[in-house]
Formats: sequence, structure tokens, C-alpha cells
Amino acid sequence: MDGSNILPFPHAAPPDEAEELARALRGDVQAFEQIYRSHLPQVYALCLRMTGQPALAEDCTQECFIAAWRALPGFERRSRVSTWLHRIAVHAVLNERRTRSRRLQAAPLDDEALAAPVPAHDAGTADVEAALARLPEGARDVVVLVGLHGYTHEEAAAMLDIAVGTSKAQLHRGRRLLAAQLGLAEEHA
Amino acid sequence: MNRPKQSLDEALAGLGTERQPARDLWPAIARGIAHSGNDVHASDGAARVTPATARRPLALVAGLAMLGLAASLAFNFRSLPLSPTGTVAGAGIVGGAAMPIAARFAPPDDAHYLAARAELEKTFKENLGLLAPATRTRIETDLAAIRAANADIRAALEKDPASPLLLQLMHSTAQQEIDLYRNVARATTPMTNPRTRT
Repeated sequence: MDGSNILPFPHAAPPDEAEELARALRGDVQAFEQIYRSHLPQVYALCLRMTGQPALAEDCTQECFIAAWRALPGFERRSRVSTWLHRIAVHAVLNERRTRSRRLQAAPLDDEALAAPVPAHDAGTADVEAALARLPEGARDVVVLVGLHGYTHEEAAAMLDIAVGTSKAQLHRGRRLLAAQLGLAEEHA
Repeated sequence: MNRPKQSLDEALAGLGTERQPARDLWPAIARGIAHSGNDVHASDGAARVTPATARRPLALVAGLAMLGLAASLAFNFRSLPLSPTGTVAGAGIVGGAAMPIAARFAPPDDAHYLAARAELEKTFKENLGLLAPATRTRIETDLAAIRAANADIRAALEKDPASPLLLQLMHSTAQQEIDLYRNVARATTPMTNPRTRT
């Protein structure tokens, strides 16, 4: 992927970041490395939640930043760098799914999983991460983008190349499965 | 204790949106950038090429790429003395990012650099065993990735020694190797020097 089809969102880049971006656009790799280090935790978290596998998440994160370097000349400065990088990261994950012949991840749950055992305690972070990783990919993607990273359905649908209605349906399904897996109340935000 | 039932939104909010990978991904990204083309920003023929003012000093050092690189590392090494308060968590942080490009390629000083690097590497090897196994494994993995990236970029530089991008990448990964040695030295100094213990 070359990242050239990454569309911007209308947010201005913060001043410090704009300076680093300008330097990176002039071919300064160290400025780009600073951008990488600033955004790595969020990009990696996004890839990790979408892939459910640390090794795949690392691959996708690397692909994301390599694609971002290539796509820098086309970056629109009115966009927020984080949003732009997240879009590239989502593309990297979707690309990885399409091209990978063997799946290393655990078999995703189907809706029958609603009958799975319910933990008797409050869900710890590890429980939630595990439940998230076991969601069907479509539901997981939307839960990660909308439920965790705070994107709107319109933004998530654009990133995932799905209809807005599909995004809403997948979020509902994902939340229902998660709540059942974790034994939690599914009150909507 | 009777706690109110946790909601799904609370559970999701507890996850946060940031995670750190188990290893430093930059060396592999630097390799990918090196493989993706020497100056992709110029490949579209637009005005986004490295400015001539930045290219000129780089071109001057292109023929002395390795020596210039070595000298630049020696410069950074000398200008940033070791601190006993550093930690391994900072491994991989690249120094000198704010310096202008020309300043990062100082005149050659090969003997000094090699001696300083050899000394750091010696300390690194001696002290690595003092660290926890998990930390050691992570550092060794990072070092292997840095060296692999360095070898790739060096090979690419042999084909195109005047590439500003490759020179920068070479500098970046070599600096990371030095930083890794220094951070291990910093982290283990209190363990090896009783005078620094509190």
C-alpha cells in the first residue's frame, strides 16, 4: 500500500508537530523519527487491538510508518497527524488480512459465544483485551475505532471502507458479544 | 465487599489507547524506508525534494560517508556525557535531532570514534549480564534489529553513496546503537560502581 488514498480530516496539526512535519517533508528522517516516537503508542495500540496479535501488530505498525513516509508528500497539513496515521494503520491491518494466507490469531467467536461462561468478578484489563481479541474482525474493528479511539461512525466507516450503517451494526454486535463475554452491563455511551 | 457492577463502557475506557511494543520498531522502519527508495519525496518530481542547501553539505561528505558518520557519532558522544540517572527504558532515543543537518556530519575523527565506541561496547558486554533476563532479551533483540538495519543501509549506500536519505538513516541507526550501549552503561553504573550507590 502506498498510503496515497488516505483522506484527511479537518483538524489542524499542533504547532510543534507542524514543525516536525515540515522538516520531515523536506526529507529529514530524524524529524520523521520524532513523529514516529510521538505516535507509536497509539498506532501500535490500534494495530494490536485490530489484529489481536503482538507480532502482527508490530508488522502493521512498521508498514504504517513506512507507508506514511512514502505518503508524506501528499499529506494535507490541515489534517491531524494522528488521524492520518491511524488511517494508514487501519489500511495496513486490512491489507495484512487480505494478503496473509495463514491466520495466526485464535478463532473468532461467533454469536453463539453469547452463551460462554460469565466471570464472577469485574473485568480486568487482561480480560477485556482477551475478549476484544476474540471478537469477529468486523465487530472488533468498529469497537476499536469507535468505542476505544473515539472516531465517529462516519470516520470509522471511511477508514474501514464500509457503510455507516454497517459500522453501527457492527458496534452493536461487538458490544453485545463483549458484554456477554465479560458479564458486564451493556449500557450505551 | 459489595461493588456496583462495572459497565462495558467503564471496562473499555480502562484499556486506554496507548501501548508500547515489546521491541523498538524504528530500525526495521528505517530499513523499509531505505528499501523504498533513496529519496521518495523527490520521486514525484515535485518541489518536495531535499533543499539544495541541505544537499550541499551532505554531498560533500558523501565520499566520506562512513568516516563522516563515525565522526558525527563521536561528536554526539562527546557532547552528551553519561548520566548515572539514566534508565534502559530510554534505549533507542536518538540524540541531536534538533541539530541542523550539516552539524550532524562533523569532520572525520575516525580513531577517536572507534576508540569511544569500542569502550562503550566493552562496557555494554560486561554489564549486560547485570540486567534482568527480560530486559537483556529486549536489548539484545533491539541490538540485532539495529545491526541488521545498519547492514542493509550500508549495502544500499555502497550502491548510492551520495543519497542524503541513506546517510540520514545510517546516522539514525548507528546513533541508536551508541545510545543503546550508553543506556545500558547508565542503567548499570550504580550496580558496578559502589561510589555511586546511595
